[in-house]
Amino acid sequence: MFGYVIPCKMELKIKDYEKVKAYYCGLCRAIKYNFGNMPRITINYDMTFLAIFLDALDSHKNEYIHSNCILHPFKKRNFIVNNSPLEYASFINVILAYHKLLDDIDDDNSFKSKIFSILLKGYLKKIPTQYIKTKDHIVKKLEKLYSLEKSGNVENLDELSHPFGELTAHSILDYYNDEKYQENLYYLGYNLGKWIYIMDAFDDLEKDLNHNKFNGINAVLNKDNLPYNEFRESVKSRINFILTSYARECSEILNSLPIEKNDEILYNIFNYGLLEKMDFVFKKEESTK
Amino acid sequence: MKDPYEVLGVNRNASQEEIKKAYRKLASEYHPDKYIDNPLRNLAEEKMREINEAYEYLMKNNGKYVSEEELLYNVRIDIQQGNFSEAERKLNSINNRSAEWFFLMGIINQRKGWYDGAYDCFQKAHSMDPGNREYNQAFNSLNRRNDNYREPYGKDKDHDLCQICTTLYCLDCLCESMGGDFIPCC
Repeated sequence: MFGYVIPCKMELKIKDYEKVKAYYCGLCRAIKYNFGNMPRITINYDMTFLAIFLDALDSHKNEYIHSNCILHPFKKRNFIVNNSPLEYASFINVILAYHKLLDDIDDDNSFKSKIFSILLKGYLKKIPTQYIKTKDHIVKKLEKLYSLEKSGNVENLDELSHPFGELTAHSILDYYNDEKYQENLYYLGYNLGKWIYIMDAFDDLEKDLNHNKFNGINAVLNKDNLPYNEFRESVKSRINFILTSYARECSEILNSLPIEKNDEILYNIFNYGLLEKMDFVFKKEESTK
Repeated sequence: MKDPYEVLGVNRNASQEEIKKAYRKLASEYHPDKYIDNPLRNLAEEKMREINEAYEYLMKNNGKYVSEEELLYNVRIDIQQGNFSEAERKLNSINNRSAEWFFLMGIINQRKGWYDGAYDCFQKAHSMDPGNREYNQAFNSLNRRNDNYREPYGKDKDHDLCQICTTLYCLDCLCESMGGDFIPCC
């Protein structure tokens, strides 16, 4: 369920585009130094967003370096270094990636995920004690989510996506907990988390239905066991409504937060990026016809 | 459920004793044993059930009874005061789910950020009472907020050169028709 929260590239200024890239490369570098080379492949854009967002709440100046990396040996890249939101995001990134693999194994006994999770497990020991609480929190929320998914009697998508919304909210609050903005930060994370969860379910709807895998939207809304095409048409406007509502809420809350930098990137993500991603997923179907 | 005070024929601030007394009197009056071989037997049984239900309700709730209309009105006040968890608790205690119930539940869901629940409730309220202005307005205003949010994304942000040319051309034509001239060379 990763890689949905990205900026709309065409609306970004070049300097902001380069900055996003430097955060991405910086996160990859942070994973390398905190864990090792192998977990670097689990990097994703949602965690880059987390770092950009948390860093935006802090006024310190970023430190850049220009260097090579293992994946791009001939072209030098910019990295943001010595940045605590990036460090934090690197831990969350690996924790979530590992648990996503466990979930995949549980879902379809995927061999690839099995091997990979065993490889990754060793690295998890490197999580410092200060983040253990966050990790336990994440694990608890995920367990709640999986038990809801399995229970089969969920009334609406809000109830189902609630644990993932809380997970995202606490991932933000565990790093930045200012009493004055606590509620706003919580709701921003909460709405974004639900947006990610439902977006992912809608994106995977066809794949999941064809392979008979669990899909949140199908489990909650497909009471008559409609085939994929009919079902998708019947829920399209409902999904569009809730996703737009979550995204709008995020964008409204953003205005009330004490943003010190990266404001144009964040504005872009919440006002163009999320909508672009939705457009892409909703129109995917029409373009393949 | 009918108003238990009406069923037992006592007034609203009757004491426990008075309620018990009224119940005993009615119970002996409508007791099924009295109606053996009577064509009104079914009716008496029905009445007996109501009496029992009303009595049990008042005993359980210490003689407090609030009708559904009153409860829904209280829910509205709670919502206005921002007391959403209390409003939700009250709504959940109502078994009869009317259009108004769904509408109020939709409002609470919306405030909680549960937009799927809100969508569902507003749709149900609308299908049960399609003509109700208040219900339709709540749903439409949510949709409008979403449309406003979408607007900058959908708008074409580049004013291309052609557009500028046509604007100038139109302006010139207008000026000329009024006797003036905006671009002298044409």
